[in-house]
Amino acid sequence: MRQASSLFFCAVRDVLPDRIFGFHTGRLERNMREKLIAMLEQGRAAFEAASSPAVLQEIRVRFLGKKGELTAIMKEMGKLSPEERPVLGALANQVKSDLESLFEDRSRIVGEFEMEKRLAEERVDVTLPGRRLVAGTKHPVTLVIEEITSIFSALGFAVAEGPEVEQDFYNFEALNMPKDHPARDMQDTFYVNDDIVLRTHTSPVQIRTMLKHAPPVRIIAPGTVYRRDSDITHTPMFHQVEGFLVERNITFGDLKGILTAFLSQIFGKGLEVRFRPSFFPFTEPSAEVDIQCVMCKGKGCRVCKNSGWLEILGSGMIDPEVFKSVEYDSEVYSGFAFGMGVERIAMLKYGVNDLRLFFENDIRFLRQF
Amino acid sequence: MIVTYNWLKEFVDFKFSPDDLAHRLTMAGLEVDSMERVGEGYDSVVVAKLVSVDKHPDADKLTVCQVDSGTETVQVVCGAKNHKSGDLVALATVGTVLPGDFKIKKSKIRGIESFGMLCSEKELGLADSSDGIMILSPDFKLGQPVFEALGLKDVRYEIGLTPNRPDCLSVMGVAREVAAMAGGALEVTMPALIEGEQKTSDLTSVIIEEPELCPRYAARLILGVKIGPSPEWLVRRLESVGQRSINNVVDVTNLILMELGQPLHAFDYRRLAEGRIVVKRAASAEQFQTLDGAPRSLGENDLVICDGRGPVALAGIMGGENSEIVPETVDILLESAYFNPLTIRRTSKRLALRTEASHRFERGGDVAMVPVALDKAAALISQVAGGVVCRERIDEYPKPLNERKIVLSIKRVNEILGLKLKLEDVLGHLRSIGLDVYPAEENDEARLIVVVPSFRPDLEREIDLIEEVARLNGYDHIPVTMPAGRMICHIPPRHLKETARLRNAMVASGFSEIVNYSFVAPGSWDRIGLDDADLRRNPVRILNPLTEEQSVMRTSLVPSILETVTRNLAYQNQDLRLFELRPVFLSNPGEVLPLEKWRLCAVMCGRRQPEGWGQVNDNVDFFDLKGVVEQILDMFNISKVVWDGSFGESFLHPGKSCTLRVKDAVLGTLGEVHPKVLAAFDIDEPVLLLDLDFEQLLAASGGPGKFQALSRFPQVARDSAFLVDEDLPFSEVLKVLNQSCGNLVEDFTLFDLYRGKGVPEGKKSLAIRVLYRSADRTLKDEEIQKAHDKIVKTLIDKLGIEIR
Repeated sequence: MRQASSLFFCAVRDVLPDRIFGFHTGRLERNMREKLIAMLEQGRAAFEAASSPAVLQEIRVRFLGKKGELTAIMKEMGKLSPEERPVLGALANQVKSDLESLFEDRSRIVGEFEMEKRLAEERVDVTLPGRRLVAGTKHPVTLVIEEITSIFSALGFAVAEGPEVEQDFYNFEALNMPKDHPARDMQDTFYVNDDIVLRTHTSPVQIRTMLKHAPPVRIIAPGTVYRRDSDITHTPMFHQVEGFLVERNITFGDLKGILTAFLSQIFGKGLEVRFRPSFFPFTEPSAEVDIQCVMCKGKGCRVCKNSGWLEILGSGMIDPEVFKSVEYDSEVYSGFAFGMGVERIAMLKYGVNDLRLFFENDIRFLRQF
Repeated sequence: MIVTYNWLKEFVDFKFSPDDLAHRLTMAGLEVDSMERVGEGYDSVVVAKLVSVDKHPDADKLTVCQVDSGTETVQVVCGAKNHKSGDLVALATVGTVLPGDFKIKKSKIRGIESFGMLCSEKELGLADSSDGIMILSPDFKLGQPVFEALGLKDVRYEIGLTPNRPDCLSVMGVAREVAAMAGGALEVTMPALIEGEQKTSDLTSVIIEEPELCPRYAARLILGVKIGPSPEWLVRRLESVGQRSINNVVDVTNLILMELGQPLHAFDYRRLAEGRIVVKRAASAEQFQTLDGAPRSLGENDLVICDGRGPVALAGIMGGENSEIVPETVDILLESAYFNPLTIRRTSKRLALRTEASHRFERGGDVAMVPVALDKAAALISQVAGGVVCRERIDEYPKPLNERKIVLSIKRVNEILGLKLKLEDVLGHLRSIGLDVYPAEENDEARLIVVVPSFRPDLEREIDLIEEVARLNGYDHIPVTMPAGRMICHIPPRHLKETARLRNAMVASGFSEIVNYSFVAPGSWDRIGLDDADLRRNPVRILNPLTEEQSVMRTSLVPSILETVTRNLAYQNQDLRLFELRPVFLSNPGEVLPLEKWRLCAVMCGRRQPEGWGQVNDNVDFFDLKGVVEQILDMFNISKVVWDGSFGESFLHPGKSCTLRVKDAVLGTLGEVHPKVLAAFDIDEPVLLLDLDFEQLLAASGGPGKFQALSRFPQVARDSAFLVDEDLPFSEVLKVLNQSCGNLVEDFTLFDLYRGKGVPEGKKSLAIRVLYRSADRTLKDEEIQKAHDKIVKTLIDKLGIEIR
């Protein structure tokens, strides 16, 4: 558009007058034509000198407004002869559109200039602090449980739950820990009465699930557990995630496979993992799973007591006694179970050095996750 | 369990380095908790010979010694008196740092130069006190580090044993595992036992009245011993595993306990009434004083060792004061027995009396070790304390324990472990730890018979043997595989997904999640001012709480969250927004377990926005919290909610709180915390609190909301301000608005609430914006005006309010 109108403007000024001169003579007509051409020249000069949108607007009104100069000239058109009228009319229209182009072009230039001036004035100090919305945070225990759960969900495990105040039967008895079993010493228990305890681990969910569902089962069970122990490295309440899988032909190798896959996801690939013999009444063979110390990368430090390894999981093949208590046929099915401490994983993942921080709920701690 | 590298070496020949041994033990299931190098760092304390000892020219009590350390002769000034030329001594050369950070420097003592120090046992950390410097055995080699020469350079391993391995509660037991790793044999040496003429059974007798509880009891008499300090080797040996020396006889029994795992007890024979032993149940309410001086009240379930009169020992746990070895003891009766693990465990647990002996008996001892340990101890006692061992031990074994045989299927081993072991592999593994194993039938490649030795009470079933095979084969050598199996679709309980959603909503509203203990102090209910009749005052109690402050399960999340507020404010953490989403525990009469109900509790206090520049900083009030609740309700698609300001919780401000109802269900309460409660928690600023019943929230939830088509036509707003009575609740206005608005109204908002200039006393001005929009056309001014006039008129007519 811009290109076209400006070409046209050249044509009017340089070519048209001569052509028109070529075949006509009326005095009035000549006078009007001169006026039009003079007006175009004045307008051009005025627009080009204008430096603000307001002045441009004023000029526009002066020349092109309802009471402007062009209208005044046009009023005299009636006095022209019928032959002259269309010729001069064409010229007037030409002048009008040229003036409008001039106005628009100049407006654009002035607009850009004005914009630049404004932008130059509107600068802010970008180093001032930003204004934030209040950001909430999930507790690190929740974050870790969510992460563990999502990893196992991808492996086909479903989430299950059980009560925190639990019957001795589910917490101990059915897990091959009859009363007076020395393994009960491994866990100091809070009792509500002789038969009701605060669950010492999430393993009772194994029993509750297996009593409800026939194999195959593949379950992950996060939850709160309690032990009667309180010092720098123990809190009387903490969190565990229990997992188990029962199906035909499940081997200890499968246990290693699933747990290795899990650990490399939660702590990152390339991490060394080792399985070593241990003891849990509800699994046999049992394995303690260690990872290479995430603090010192296995070189030995205070966190790993210079061993280069960190205990991270307890696991094992589900003991036939447990299958007996849930009426699974251990000749047909086998399976594995594992359990891990959520706070421990959170401490290693985030480098938290004091377990008690998880329960002090200091907002300065919580906001870091 | 503590063992040392050197002691293990006495039982088995192995070539593992100390570090390698630690690794191997751990990987065999005997987790090394710590490893300590003893005598490390003192290699510059060497065996040296006194070439000459001369008086110090300027000090009567000092000597100037020329000392030959094998490579050079140095001059040392010494303050001791017990040394003479030719003695071998412990020379700490210049640069040595002795225990207690004592650095040996070249020095000048009264004008005579000294290049080192001749050490006493105390200075080397080997004894609590010393009379002079250490004089070493003349056959030590010059220049050899003293700790090495003394056999004190050792590595101490502390093993965290799992309860299934009582066989490893002795150096010998651990050595058996090391032998299996090293492929060597376990060698147990026995000192020669020289028996006297007198026959044991002529002087004493053993009667077992409870063969179920005490299947075996053996005894020996050693007459004419002299109680005294133990020889150095014995003291050092016990010290190496963390035991203090007591006297020669007791030390021997402790040594055997540590070495063979068999607890022994030495009685003063002359203090035993009628000089005989009876094993029986204690009488009901029988009083007995154990040798730690504590009176013990016994019952019929406790097994005791008696003499002709009454109890002289608590079987398998601790001896009695009345028969213990004293400095004057001359004749001793030595007990070696096997007790039923459960009996020992019950008594020891009931009395809270745990000893090295009870620990071993309750985990399960080795009945075959009874006579072996007895004889070895008797031989050693007569060696270190003199005395004559009477002829022929008494060995009452009325109820021989059954020998256990287990059939092991090789197929099963491989099925469980994911291995491809052959019969010979399995056979080899099991034999390496001393099991008697043979094929079930000749040429049988499929099954083995395993005869379980008495020292492995944990091996009862086929699976126990499979675990042994896995362990001995090495968990490392089991291939990593992924399970194959059918797909399953367990549908998780609904609330699991919904708790996650609610948590996300709270976080999005700026709240941080907290986790408090599930147990609280019983006084918590008073602090939040619950009525006496409130059911929440009846919590589930813990029988054995750690502290009274943590003795009841919480029935409300409120006290703990307020404590969290207090704690945070104490740290100058301002502008709090906290929430907790966890269960409370409610007594559930008639049911086995209490009810566990999930609740959402949240608090807000302080500024609405974090402090910053260029913004208004109002404090939060009731309506900030209400806004959060409204968002939750929207998210769960809950409508028709009643905000009932006439009823609230005792812990909330009565004028600034309400109960949230949907139909008949109470979803929860919210409001400003009552000033009295704030005072009880030492909080001196307003706190807003929300306490929602998560299950009711879910029950009221309308499920996912349905999509509403979007209008493509313009929206037009009309604002009107009304003067209403101060006590007219907004809900009344809302009700009329809802009734009177036609289908052209898209929404309305209260955009201003004003009291003050221009508004008469007792009135308030409500500025309401009504938004009009049609789904199918652009609305004309006239129809909007008509609709709006109608709404205004209805409000005026029904509520008697005036337009402002």
